[in-house]
Amino acid sequence: MNDVFIYDALRTPRGRGKQNGALYEVKPVHLLEVALRALQKRSGFNATDIDDMIIGCVTPTGDQGFNIARTAMLEAGLSAANGGMQINRYCTSGLEAVNLAAAKIAAGWESLSVAGGTESMSRVPMGSDGGALLNDPGVFMTQNYLPQGVAADLIATMEGFTREELDAYALRSHQRAQKAKDNGYFKPSIVPICDASGLPILSKDELVRADVDLERMSALRPAFTALGQQGFAAMALHRYPEIEKVHHLHTAANSCALADGAALVLLGNAEKGKELGLKPRARIVNCTTVSVDPTIMLTGPVAATKRVLKNCGKTVADIDLWECNEAFAAVALKYERDLKLDPEKLNVNGGSIALGHPLGATGAILLGTVLDELERQDLQTGLVTLCAGAGLAVATIIERV
Amino acid sequence: MIRLKKDTDNIMTIIFDMKDRPHNVVNHEISEAFVPVLQRLQEEKAQGQLRGVILTSAKNSFLSGGDLGYLYDVDDPEELFQQAEKLSHFFRALEKPGVPVVAAISGNALGSGFEVAMACHHRIVLDDPRVRVGMPEVNLGLMPSGGNVIRMMWLLGIEQAYNVLTSGRHYSPQEALKVGIIDELANNQKELMEKAREWLLSHTDWHRPWDQPGSEIPGGTANDPKLILKIRSMAAQMAAATYNNSPAKRAILNVLVQGSKVDFGTACRIENRRFAHLVCSPTAKNMISTFWMDYHAIKTGINRPRGYGRFRVRKVGIIGSGQMGSGIAVACIQHGLSVVLKDVSKAIAERGREFVSQRIDQLIQEGTFHPSEKEQIMKRLVTTDKAADFKECDIIVEAVFESEALKQKVTTEAEAQLDHYSIIGTNTVSIPISKLSAGMQRPENYVGLHFFHPADQVPLVEIVRGKDTSDETIARAVDFAQRIMKIPIVVKDIWGFYAGRVRNTYILEGISMLQEGYSPALIENSGRQLGLPHGPLELADALGLQLVLKYEEQAANHYGSKYVQHPAVEVLKVMLQEHQRTGRSAKAGFYEYGEDGTRQLWSGLTESWPNTQKTYDRQNLNERLLFSQVIEALWCMQEKVVTSSAAANLGSVYGWGFPRETGGVIRFIQDYGMDEFMKQSQQYHKKLGQRFRIPKVLKELMLEPAFLGAKGAVE
Repeated sequence: MNDVFIYDALRTPRGRGKQNGALYEVKPVHLLEVALRALQKRSGFNATDIDDMIIGCVTPTGDQGFNIARTAMLEAGLSAANGGMQINRYCTSGLEAVNLAAAKIAAGWESLSVAGGTESMSRVPMGSDGGALLNDPGVFMTQNYLPQGVAADLIATMEGFTREELDAYALRSHQRAQKAKDNGYFKPSIVPICDASGLPILSKDELVRADVDLERMSALRPAFTALGQQGFAAMALHRYPEIEKVHHLHTAANSCALADGAALVLLGNAEKGKELGLKPRARIVNCTTVSVDPTIMLTGPVAATKRVLKNCGKTVADIDLWECNEAFAAVALKYERDLKLDPEKLNVNGGSIALGHPLGATGAILLGTVLDELERQDLQTGLVTLCAGAGLAVATIIERV
Repeated sequence: MIRLKKDTDNIMTIIFDMKDRPHNVVNHEISEAFVPVLQRLQEEKAQGQLRGVILTSAKNSFLSGGDLGYLYDVDDPEELFQQAEKLSHFFRALEKPGVPVVAAISGNALGSGFEVAMACHHRIVLDDPRVRVGMPEVNLGLMPSGGNVIRMMWLLGIEQAYNVLTSGRHYSPQEALKVGIIDELANNQKELMEKAREWLLSHTDWHRPWDQPGSEIPGGTANDPKLILKIRSMAAQMAAATYNNSPAKRAILNVLVQGSKVDFGTACRIENRRFAHLVCSPTAKNMISTFWMDYHAIKTGINRPRGYGRFRVRKVGIIGSGQMGSGIAVACIQHGLSVVLKDVSKAIAERGREFVSQRIDQLIQEGTFHPSEKEQIMKRLVTTDKAADFKECDIIVEAVFESEALKQKVTTEAEAQLDHYSIIGTNTVSIPISKLSAGMQRPENYVGLHFFHPADQVPLVEIVRGKDTSDETIARAVDFAQRIMKIPIVVKDIWGFYAGRVRNTYILEGISMLQEGYSPALIENSGRQLGLPHGPLELADALGLQLVLKYEEQAANHYGSKYVQHPAVEVLKVMLQEHQRTGRSAKAGFYEYGEDGTRQLWSGLTESWPNTQKTYDRQNLNERLLFSQVIEALWCMQEKVVTSSAAANLGSVYGWGFPRETGGVIRFIQDYGMDEFMKQSQQYHKKLGQRFRIPKVLKELMLEPAFLGAKGAVE
């Protein structure tokens, strides 16, 4: 197998994924187009150098439908570039896109690929693509398929996490993100979104807030109680009868925020990098996909991590920095506890709770984030993992070269 | 079978009049009989000699339900699907050509009977509060077919159609109009036919909404993002309420959802396929067997001693105006009897009147009575504090609290007022009837009448035979129960009678799991998710741990040296003696109870009985909870505590909430498979002890035709 190198990684800022978000006025394909133009500019590749572009997008309908990857390539003036494909492996899509592109390069079938993800949650709301697993009672009742927030509350219940622990974790995410933002850690990788005249629309992550405090956080009402009472909590007990009831502990503050954004990674083999005069920033060491019980849904990162470590003969001790997507505080806390991680190595610059989770993009964002941080701290190896719908999870290990 | 009449306005009246049957039944015969009729209608229409059609009936009922004997017998989905398709075509042939058809309904139209009306362009119903219409198929684990789930959806929209079709309700005409499943009411038979004719004269060439281009399902389809949120919520609510135990309700929701996304014809086909699949499901067979065949077996008197004339009750005396007494009063008043309600003071007895009045108001709301009837109805209720007012009563029902002395005192007082023919029933749960009747002048006229709370709603009454109770008294008690539309089951005078005794084994089995180290939440969830209304520990708390223990001690006395102590006894004693946790009324039992009405499993449970069984075999736990009840019910049959599988089945569902989809405790065995059941019970017997031993009676039962599922026993 050929070595697969990361030549570059960048992203747009993350906007609030609602109508009052800064990127709501920007059409979805534009986010991806801007990122792609920036990537080309920074790396200097020609359209014909590109063998494929794989883009994760979780709600590929409406303005994100009909293959947003190819659409963005055309809009970015790369009609001569090969490929263009949109994939959906729920919240892991952005990372899965990287893994797929990497696998083709490793196999020797391709030399240079763009991979990443995009999501405008403000414009194309989550779930607006329908789907039997969400909407067909014949399917979701049989599967005991829960809304993710109820699944997260189920995890918190089964792990015995308290509201205080979840809120404390959320606070940590905000504080770390704020610090990273203040210190400009994200800046080198962020491509501002501007209008046609070049006037800035958003150049920094919008969601991080300096004014978060524990007291106000703890006053928030649980966000998924109503869904639970509707009957989904009973469905959880149907699958897990050993618990008396689902404790609804997740709130708007200790769950990830909806967001808009796009992220891209430029991947290639050694030869192509040399040809283009690019310096590899890191190497993809290994990657994997797992699935766990779809009802509890979001506990996959632990299994994915164990598997990817085993794949390449590494142990927890070999990883310098960890990124586990903060879909909900309970997901990250369980991950930290199960793998006995040093909290100072996990999600060191905050995560989706503070910064937002543009579904299809986050996997690629986290890969870029860990790479930037490895470079900043001059460390070697990082692991990125995300939980996802229907019990899926993906993990990828990279190391600097 | 079908008579035709045409008048000078070219309006054809079609009269259903099935031969050799008391009611018109909808089955494949009727759609076949209709073929030449439809042909004639089409010919006359082509010749311009047909203006419209009125469907009506020569019997008391418009059309009663489908042929349940047939649905019970047939196991071939292809045959069922083809029959349903035939019915679909019949209905389409009736509604599609544009000859307006009116259903003139003057009697009950339920199930398939109402389905025929659904295929008419207009439904007019005689406004008689005794008439019932609707599609309650779901009560028998079934669903409508022939496109009538889909018609209902087009009439009412997905959400309301779901509510109507899964409610199992029999609607009064007033209510049916409110809900929107009929179009008009008529005050009398003459007006009914006139209104039908008027409608036909003013509506020519009329089409159903789904046959009109551009029309839409009210409220939208399941592709509509707003509606889908609603549907998700409906489905989640159903999952929470039924734990996926009701295939019929799920089938109805799924047909509505899928059917809303395709054209009408395809939707009907989806419905018919689902119907055929559902009819072949064990749940449907179980429910038809118990709630139709067993029910009718009881109704026709398999319980009732033979040779005694019908007991015609007019006036009922009730002692005690608490929840139970007032509930019984409602049941009596509602079904036309007069009631004398007595308590220690007139003021207290008046509280009973208030309760009855409120329930009658509810029934008026539901259209069971006209508001104008209220005064007359309430006149039939007299409250008093004097036993002398019982003079003309045909039966006395005593429903004071569980005190032997008190019960004896009030019944002796009442007896003094009665003639030799009147009977006295006592509503007790734990005092032997034979003991209570000891001081009576006529113990042969004394019987146990065990109603279940809420007494006006639970359709079961246990008729308890004391050692002196005469056959004639039993027959009279049965007649009384039938008169107020209850299902009477005649039971022996032993601890807990039938329902209380069997229910206790469920509780004890749950408690023994606690002792084995299973988590209390798991035990409770297992019971509830099986479809029982309460977890075993919750139920123990509600009854009081003392009573649960007392029942088991009575069992110990009964069996004497053959008795092997149930492992749960140990736990109950620790709870009662060491922890002084006696149950819900003390706000401390297996649960702890907050001031605000919340409750949670007592945290101390896991200290006394640590959760050592971290993994568990779910099927195993479920089976133990169910088998314990089924086997105890078999012992009840062996010991003649109940005397028929019909009584055992209905008693189990209505008496303590044994999952209705199983068809009850005895039907459960048929569904599980006799051999498999024996084999599995032997396993449990070996592993867990004598309480899983099967009595000999099972082998005898196997030979009974009723046990094997009587076919065509009723219509």
